[in-house]
Amino acid sequence: MELLGILVLTVQIALVGTAINLPIALGVSWLIVKRRISGRLVFDALVSLPLAVPPVVVGYALLLLLGNKGLVGGPLNSLLGVELVFTWFAAALAAAVVSFPLMARAVMVAMGGVDEHLEMAARSLGASAVRVFFTITVPLAYRGISAGALLGFVRAVSEFGATIVVAGNIPGKTQTLPLAIYSEVLLGNDEMALRLIAVSVGLAVVTLLAHNWLLDRAARTDEG
Amino acid sequence: MKDSLLELRVRKRFAGFTLDCEAQFGEGITAIFGPSGSGKSTLLNSIAGLTRPDEGEIRFEGEALYSSEEGIHMPPEKRRFGYVFQDSALFPHMSVANNIHYGYKLTAREDRRIEPSQLVELLQLGRLLERSVANLSGGERQRVALARALAASPRLLLLDEPLASLDGGLRGVILGYLKRIRRELGTPMVYVSHSISEVMALADNALALRDGRAVAYGRASEALLMPEVSAFAQFNTLENLLDVLVKRRYEDEDIAELKIGDACVLAAGVSRGEGDTLTVSIRAGDIIVSRQIPPQTSARNAIPARVSEIHTVDSRVLIYADIGARMVVEITLNSLEALGLRVGTEIYLIIKANSVIPLEGRGG
Repeated sequence: MELLGILVLTVQIALVGTAINLPIALGVSWLIVKRRISGRLVFDALVSLPLAVPPVVVGYALLLLLGNKGLVGGPLNSLLGVELVFTWFAAALAAAVVSFPLMARAVMVAMGGVDEHLEMAARSLGASAVRVFFTITVPLAYRGISAGALLGFVRAVSEFGATIVVAGNIPGKTQTLPLAIYSEVLLGNDEMALRLIAVSVGLAVVTLLAHNWLLDRAARTDEG
Repeated sequence: MKDSLLELRVRKRFAGFTLDCEAQFGEGITAIFGPSGSGKSTLLNSIAGLTRPDEGEIRFEGEALYSSEEGIHMPPEKRRFGYVFQDSALFPHMSVANNIHYGYKLTAREDRRIEPSQLVELLQLGRLLERSVANLSGGERQRVALARALAASPRLLLLDEPLASLDGGLRGVILGYLKRIRRELGTPMVYVSHSISEVMALADNALALRDGRAVAYGRASEALLMPEVSAFAQFNTLENLLDVLVKRRYEDEDIAELKIGDACVLAAGVSRGEGDTLTVSIRAGDIIVSRQIPPQTSARNAIPARVSEIHTVDSRVLIYADIGARMVVEITLNSLEALGLRVGTEIYLIIKANSVIPLEGRGG
């Protein structure tokens, strides 16, 4: 069934994008919130940048970077014969970049909520900063971190502008839900467009409910 | 102190506040004493390695932990100093047992001097081990926090107002455990407090801080009576905490005769036997000053003394009376004038037997 294929591809691309983002968001949040690196205000602004520019700009930047003459795509193509542009993976990267600010913001808030005294206590007990991160900070912030990942996922699912530039709109290969809706609307297939829209909205609602539930649980744990 | 364990010279600037302090700590328990905002916790965090000073040097047993000149800043996990927070800071996602084992597991085998089982017994944690830390009372939390810190066999134990969030009765209990730790484990401690009575009850030495500067250092009993300190110490709860010897017991009357300095004092409720030593508390405000022995009084003690110092703090007067030990007596400015007291005046300290409170009621 065509619709199911589109849904699976969309979820796959969004999941991979989220999986790429998660370790980066954890690392960046740790540097900004916990290590309080110098220049964190600038760093913080860079994290939010993809949220502030049109997704088309992100897509074009990725196209320049990943294209066969790009900084990353060039060597990949000449050395390994790999072509990234107009693949599902390029769509995943586009989804990752665009959804990164939402996820990173939420992860920063979650990590900032972990009592500093607990981390200080762990350090004094002989744990390195990295061990404190994995044994204290992440376990205590995991609900907020998961909520952030879901928020990133839901944004990745709905990604359109960057994806169409760097991955195109190739049915069965890079055509995600938003791109399929766009095509059906252009072709005048209102019925198919509405069905796709229903699926899209349904996925978003379920994900957002899960997100809210996690945040609520996290808040309750803080109180208790 | 000659046998300095910890030497420090620390400068740390904040907006509107600068900690600028030099001190040397010996073995035993050293108190860092001062009003809130005096820089006590910043100093403690600098020792722990949790705060990096702007400038200075911190050495432990001669080894540099921090030195701005040599560019050394040993991370906290390498210092092996235990830290007990006012709020316990127990890990909420772990059981009591896992909290205690967290640091123990991270301690190298050859550095392990203290076993968790020993601490469970010392701090009476047996019943709590499998519990979640969310279900502990304030006193239980602090006992677990002490056990967790000690299970890592720290070279030094840092305590940041560990009694401040506990109510009166529990304070005494935790104070008792801290004394047991000192006695049975011998771990040196640095104890931050704003309570003069706590410092006097526990510490061997005290460093008094004010506005980020050390204003006095010495034996805890003496440093706290210095005028620089009396200007900010809260004296309304001031007690004399005196080490005494039980000379004689009158079992039928529940009265014991205690030797304090050169004087003998009768006290009630002492459980120790003859020849034992203990600490008693006599509140500075519970002592009456008289120029003569009152002919008939219910107070059992009239101790000859000599005024050695007089300090006036607002309308209060602190008299340091010499009875072979130093006694602090609080009287009013009015009494000072009416009695015509001066340094060197011979006086009598009138103390009820009930006002001499034994602090080591339980044996051991």
